[in-house]
Amino acid sequence: MATVQVSEAEKVYILHGIRDDLRVDGRGCEDYRHMEIETDVVSNTDGSAKVTLGHTAVLVGVKADIGKPRPMVPNEGYFEFFVDCSANATPEFEGRGGEELGTELSNTLYKVFNNKHSVDLKSLCISAGEHCWVLYVDVLLLQCDGNLYDAISVAIKAALFNTKIPRVHISADEEGVKEIELSDDPYDCMRLNVENVPCIVTLCKVGHRHVVDATLQEKACSVASLIISVTHKGTVTCTRKVGGGSLDPESIFEMTEAGKRVGKALHAPLMKLLQQEESLGKTRQKVGFLG
Amino acid sequence: MPTDTKRVRGPEVSQSPSLFLCKPAAVLPSQGPRADGRQRDQVDVRPVFVRCGLVSQAKGSAYIEAGNTKLMCCVYGPRETERKDETDMKCGRLTTDMRFAPFSCLERGSWIQGSQDKDLSLMLHESLQPAVCLNKYPRSQIEVNVMVLENSGSVLAHAVTCASLALADAGIEMYDLVLGCSIRQDGVSYVVDPSYMEENSCSSASSHNQGGLTVAFLPSLNQISGLQSDGEMTEETLAAGVRTCIEGCYKLYPVIQQALAKAVRRAAPPPSES
Repeated sequence: MATVQVSEAEKVYILHGIRDDLRVDGRGCEDYRHMEIETDVVSNTDGSAKVTLGHTAVLVGVKADIGKPRPMVPNEGYFEFFVDCSANATPEFEGRGGEELGTELSNTLYKVFNNKHSVDLKSLCISAGEHCWVLYVDVLLLQCDGNLYDAISVAIKAALFNTKIPRVHISADEEGVKEIELSDDPYDCMRLNVENVPCIVTLCKVGHRHVVDATLQEKACSVASLIISVTHKGTVTCTRKVGGGSLDPESIFEMTEAGKRVGKALHAPLMKLLQQEESLGKTRQKVGFLG
Repeated sequence: MPTDTKRVRGPEVSQSPSLFLCKPAAVLPSQGPRADGRQRDQVDVRPVFVRCGLVSQAKGSAYIEAGNTKLMCCVYGPRETERKDETDMKCGRLTTDMRFAPFSCLERGSWIQGSQDKDLSLMLHESLQPAVCLNKYPRSQIEVNVMVLENSGSVLAHAVTCASLALADAGIEMYDLVLGCSIRQDGVSYVVDPSYMEENSCSSASSHNQGGLTVAFLPSLNQISGLQSDGEMTEETLAAGVRTCIEGCYKLYPVIQQALAKAVRRAAPPPSES
């Protein structure tokens, strides 16, 4: 991860502030930075979203392809995640530098979505055992200022909400050869139900307290963080401890509880915002990248 | 283009014949005793066989067998590092590598590290790093290599235990041994130290509270150094699962201590009193 060097005096300052529930930029321990979400930013994809969380910027594009379903689950489609750490974010990511971080992020995303309820995979099936929709979710990190997991998960949820999968139907001709036909109307498409898509919350242990949405300076003062992915109902789909330090079992219980609370509270405003943006339709002002 | 009419070419991609079985694989029942006779909802870990010091060339090595899961770990180091940046001046570096032998799982794997191997290596690294006194080895590198010979469930948990034993056998200074334990939650009941079938069977009976959890624990310091879960569970189930794993680690602790003491005695027998 892109790191900053923090002096000992700065570390003590940050630690003491967090102990009194006051972070360097004035937030409380469980407050997020200013978040901006925009969907449908890339026209060549089936769904896309850009999220800016403080100075972290993430762009997600979803493309739907027709492929062969996995042998063990012939009546379900599947996801393929790929995270690319662009060299724009920091020179450390140039060449193969960002590969390690990218693999770590993609593997965590696979685990987060590895359950029956996040997305209804059966709706991605076209004909059992032969054709299904494969959703390629590609994440591009444009700027890196801490808290990548949270920004990526919010962007994926927004992009999946925005995804329009064209409707197909199978027709069999006289010899029994099946053909897939796309419908002629470009607006006739299927949308995904993203109610149950989880959001990831990262909690960093700084001193004796934990903080949500840590900046790079705060991350440099913490030894360990806990990543927890929470659905709108409060079920936890994936947890992971990252960092080179160890955590007390009591603080892990405290952090999971706080993470669940914060994560659950994130979903309702997010869905409302996405539906509001959708309802603006053609009258929406596109902000794009330089807004 | 001239086609070869004399040879019958098989398909380019080969698949395991078990995929084409007529009857589906039996779904394991979620009540009643487990397939190998252990109990559900109790901290019933498989009996473990551990031995240190079997690879003569390595600084330290360990072998662990739990049920049918077999793993070995070798530790090389401390060695001098090539890269010398700021952080290397103050403390050492720990590199971990976890690989599966191609014959270890039901389906043949490949020798090239897949993303699952890299992910497990990363989690192994995160679990071991808090325990090793890296500040005592500045400008050095310690390499830990784990090889899974047979995968019969809870591979990461046993890899953590095996790696910390190998580090102790190599004489690397550590704050404490790291022990791993994993559980699989299936509806309202859980199984500790799941076998391969229990890990991968998805019982369709209960759709909530299904998942797996692996914890790496330092017993005498009471700290968790590694935690990983997937599936979907409520937060209470997760907390209860973590407590169960901690109990499992405490059960394993005396066995590991004994094996380590035996290895030390074998290497340097105590002076005989005459």
